[in-house]
Amino acid sequence: MEVLQYAIRKLLGGIPLVLGVTFISFLLMVYFGPDKTYELLGKNPTQEQIDEIRHELGYDKPFMVRYGEYLKQMATLDFGASDSTGEPVSKVLARTVPISLALITPGFILGNVLGILLALIAAYHRSGPIDKYIMGFSVVGMSISFLIVVIAFQIIFSSSYGLNAFPVRGWNVHSFSDYLRYITVPTLATIFVALGYNTRFYRAVLVEEMTRDHVRTAKAFGTRPGKLLYKNILKNSMIPIITRIMFSIPLVVVSGSLIIESYFGIPGIGKVTYDAITTGDQPILKAVVGLTAVLFVITLLITDILYRVVDPRVSLK
Amino acid sequence: MSSENKTPLLSVRNLVVEFSTRYGPVRAVDDISFDVYPNETVGIVGESGCGKTVTGLTLLQLIPMPPGRIVQGSINFDGRDLTKLSEKEMQEMRGSDISMIFQEPMTALNPVFSVGNQMIDVLRRHKNLTRRQARELAINMLDTVGIPAPRKRIDEYPHQMSGGMRQRVMIAMALSCGPKLLIADEPTTALDVTTQAQVMEQIVKLQDEFHMSMILVTHDLGVVAESCDRAIVMYCGNIIETAAIDDLFHKPQHPYTRGLLDSIPRIREERITELPIIRGMVPDLLHLPDGCRFADRCPRATDECRQDKPVVNIDPVTGNGVACYHPMG
Repeated sequence: MEVLQYAIRKLLGGIPLVLGVTFISFLLMVYFGPDKTYELLGKNPTQEQIDEIRHELGYDKPFMVRYGEYLKQMATLDFGASDSTGEPVSKVLARTVPISLALITPGFILGNVLGILLALIAAYHRSGPIDKYIMGFSVVGMSISFLIVVIAFQIIFSSSYGLNAFPVRGWNVHSFSDYLRYITVPTLATIFVALGYNTRFYRAVLVEEMTRDHVRTAKAFGTRPGKLLYKNILKNSMIPIITRIMFSIPLVVVSGSLIIESYFGIPGIGKVTYDAITTGDQPILKAVVGLTAVLFVITLLITDILYRVVDPRVSLK
Repeated sequence: MSSENKTPLLSVRNLVVEFSTRYGPVRAVDDISFDVYPNETVGIVGESGCGKTVTGLTLLQLIPMPPGRIVQGSINFDGRDLTKLSEKEMQEMRGSDISMIFQEPMTALNPVFSVGNQMIDVLRRHKNLTRRQARELAINMLDTVGIPAPRKRIDEYPHQMSGGMRQRVMIAMALSCGPKLLIADEPTTALDVTTQAQVMEQIVKLQDEFHMSMILVTHDLGVVAESCDRAIVMYCGNIIETAAIDDLFHKPQHPYTRGLLDSIPRIREERITELPIIRGMVPDLLHLPDGCRFADRCPRATDECRQDKPVVNIDPVTGNGVACYHPMG
């Protein structure tokens, strides 16, 4: 009950945030964004032709009216049709978002779970050789550019120079084994890069927690080191860990998939967004920007509720 | 204490504990020996940094190793040398045969688990109990240490309790497996004065009930006078005096002990004079003098004191001893 009330209050509180984000992005799109008028006209158009097209596109309406229409689109999830393909935006989203989620989820989860595991191992053996080995590996992972990793992995796994076992690019998924074949290389590349950052961050959090008094108390009562680590230390470290994981979700969904989908030619939401930016496809951009803001608000809400779950001191009042 | 005809429960011999630092090894505990007999309460007294807390932690091997290291010495407890035990055997020992309570009840308990959860963990770690049995036992223990409505409070989190309550929870946890020895490291220092007295009273009462020995690490001589049978005075990692409590307070032998006692404010004293202090500073543990470590601050020091370090000679009859060439007598 407390949680439900809190959720409602927080969602209502998120409305100004969504309004602010959409207002600023809409402002930027209208004044600095793509203008379709001249693309639709031939050479040397007359003023009448220009006015007609602008009227058709709705460019002649006052700014606030256009913004109001945008908000209405947000509320009804009906963003009209894509400028470049004529396909309704809602259909584009319904087609591409599941692909993106299917593509990034395994890498995201594995990157974090393995990161926490490696961090636990490193923290357990801290300042020993295993710790140094893991930390060395994570620095390597952090230091190599994602682009290089992608290219290297494509050569190793997908080309005739290497294993030649997986498709280089594309998305032709009809079965679960197809799915595994197409996501393996992107997932490995994502994990390789994310693991470095994650392991380092999580290890620092865990080591910090290990120096706390309550850990010494648990030791003084004979708690086994393994249990100490996964029960006492891990749960106490959950707040920074949750913060990192949750806040990276919106970024990973939008920009993470953007890079990886364009490199692997996968028709997900990132690829669609990238194309929309380069071609100036306003209906799609409006949808992506607005929905990302909403995703952020929801993520914040879930994060706060999760804090309450792991730490009884957090109040939802 | 009639200590001659009993075997000690704990017998520490020539214990040396070193910490490696950037500037070289520091001996936090330097060649100390002492005994604790069954049912006895021994106070370890001294100012900050004298090695009293390290001594307590070393008994349970809780000092961080590295940088800490037991260089030499033995810790005989109940017929076993703790320094020779494996880490696994030591874990079995901690919380069951030897328990420890800490200074900071605010941070010593885990904030994200209920006190019941933490107590049940300890009970089930050392005793073969079901969750339900352990819970009943934990409720009993909370009742024993004087927590009202234990059935309700067992599901509370540490932040929902006051400092005194938390320290009581710590005590309940420490006693729950029936230890033979309790090491209490400044158990009341972080509490306010009225709570201090209550908690200390509770500890002493329970010590009797549970028939255990206790090592009370503290800088509070008042607490020592009220609750200990014997006291050990430490200075710069050395034991400088050990004596039965009455002897220590009425006839302190070492000038440092005398100084400590003199610097306790006395309310009933008719003439209010300036409180005596011990002049000078504690020497740097990295650059210790060859002779007596207190010599520079000592009004009775002679050349002999500065050349050779005096050692504690225990009187076999009284069990008292002092490391001084010119004891107060």
